[in-house]
Amino acid sequence: MKGKKVVVGVFSYLDDIISAISEIKTKELEFKVYAPTFVHELDEAIDTKRSKVSLFTLIGGLTGLTFGFGLAIWCGLDYPLRVSAKNIVSIPSYVVIGYECTILFGAIATLLGVFHFCRLPWIFRQPGYDPRFSDDKFGLVVGCDGDKSGELRELFESKGAEEVKVEDGL
Amino acid sequence: MSSTAVAKKEEELTYKYVTDKVLSMLSAPTGGWYVLLATCIALVIIGKCCWFYQMIYGMGVAGIAHPIMWGVYITNFVFWVGIAHSGTLISAVLYLFRAKFRQPIYRLAEAMTVFAVMTAGLFPLIHVGRPWFAYWLMPYPNERTLWPNFKSPLVWDVFAISTYFTVSAVFFFIGLIPDIATARDKSKSLFRKVLYGITSLGWSGSNSQFKHYTAGYLLFAGLATPLVISVHSVVSWDFAMGIVPGWHATIFPPYFVAGAIFSGVAMVITLIIPLRKVFGLERIVTIDHFEAMCKLIMLTSGIVSYAYITEFYTAWFSNNSYERFQFWFRPFGDFKLAFWGMTFCNCIAPLALWYRPLRRNIKFLFVLSLVINVGMWLERFNIIFTSLAREFDPAAWGSYNFSWIEAGITVGAFGWFGMWMTLFIKFFPSIAIMEVKEVITPPKRHPEKHHQVEAH
Repeated sequence: MKGKKVVVGVFSYLDDIISAISEIKTKELEFKVYAPTFVHELDEAIDTKRSKVSLFTLIGGLTGLTFGFGLAIWCGLDYPLRVSAKNIVSIPSYVVIGYECTILFGAIATLLGVFHFCRLPWIFRQPGYDPRFSDDKFGLVVGCDGDKSGELRELFESKGAEEVKVEDGL
Repeated sequence: MSSTAVAKKEEELTYKYVTDKVLSMLSAPTGGWYVLLATCIALVIIGKCCWFYQMIYGMGVAGIAHPIMWGVYITNFVFWVGIAHSGTLISAVLYLFRAKFRQPIYRLAEAMTVFAVMTAGLFPLIHVGRPWFAYWLMPYPNERTLWPNFKSPLVWDVFAISTYFTVSAVFFFIGLIPDIATARDKSKSLFRKVLYGITSLGWSGSNSQFKHYTAGYLLFAGLATPLVISVHSVVSWDFAMGIVPGWHATIFPPYFVAGAIFSGVAMVITLIIPLRKVFGLERIVTIDHFEAMCKLIMLTSGIVSYAYITEFYTAWFSNNSYERFQFWFRPFGDFKLAFWGMTFCNCIAPLALWYRPLRRNIKFLFVLSLVINVGMWLERFNIIFTSLAREFDPAAWGSYNFSWIEAGITVGAFGWFGMWMTLFIKFFPSIAIMEVKEVITPPKRHPEKHHQVEAH
């Protein structure tokens, strides 16, 4: 987050933090919201852009499909098992391999996608993070240059923040 | 605020209550937990000893002999894979259907899935006799340029089970991350701080993380749902692709999938009732959750019963004497006890659930869930043993001699599964904190009237 300082507002109520977010958005400041769980109303209040994780899944799935069929076909050709006059390469029986590999590669790619977009694993400090945010409090963290911190503190308090802290940015 | 509204408010769960209640399960273990763990480990040791004995003296010490070359081990394999399946059903399929009753039970169901697949995966290794060559099942470049036969259902099974294990383990871990972060923020001992600090991967629950996380979770659910159906279909094809009478039936995939869900939901009930009692989770896992699971049991029991009847009808209608004989042999032949046991446990006993008070009677449900688990073990036994004992040629008919080695290994498998479950409930949150919070109405300064938060 940009800025030397971060102002952290700890909120107990969802409607309070939502009105604070809409106020911050008009100021065009960079902000981050912490919540104990996924709340639709909060998500809608922040932004409505869709996540691109599904792109990873699609690419992974298609790679898996190609890999599964490719593996079975290539192995069949490399070590032909001739049984009566049956096909060496039998697509229907390779569907299972293709199908399972699609899901396997798709799932692994989704995992990588989630890790990529969520910035996991993350070993550095999270400016403004408070352990209460994983329990029952909502947190609004705004980055600023220090001179605006007083103004933000007043804003948060007027919106019903329980506690307002000013911390160093990253 | 009227008095009823006050009472309603008290009943509602709060974020704090959920966090504290679930994390209290991770407190220092009591004597009972150690006894349970020790019992499980003792059973594992018994199983291991039997397995080593079998490795040293050969497969002859197991009851497997011509013509029943698939015995108790494959029965156990199918049983445990079946147990695993309802975990994915509860976590993925009910997620897609937005079923609210899923939230408090899915974590345990998923843990059950992962540990049951770990148990199931042992049995093919035990059964092949030379487990140190198990890697031969996988396609790997070798000096003889040999490759597995990808037309074989057994190779499909290797792919299906290994994919299933990987995907369900990933799904399980992804679901755990936010809850581990909660445990990390609340833990006091250094050991737990380090354990949860590493395993939570630095999760903070920021808005962008939740956005991508929920999107990814939906995709996982979307991938796991067709996977779970395909895996048990492939397991059923291990049988149905053979021409053995009693196996060679197109009804097998749906019949196996329904049976898997049936046994798995019963296993979830078996596990969650003691857990709920010991840790006092009555407000999180309510009677309504049990009733919802009972309805799943009623549905799948109906499908399974229908499949049993269909098998008999198909045998009669086929006018094939081998097939007809097989279905005479099941209820009246050498293994008739298994057949009637299966019919009682899977078709008749669950009918009691049509009576609502029994669906809400915890003691009855616990007993019934055990009965169903026995029934589903007998079902697999019935499919495998009777068909192999009476194949086409009467000269090749035979019977089975159980050995104590097989009994030891079967018991060891329950110990192995129990050991992982016991360790899990003390080290990681076995109720999904984040997702239970998701279905709670979020705290508001000005609560809207009649507002219902959509279950996600």
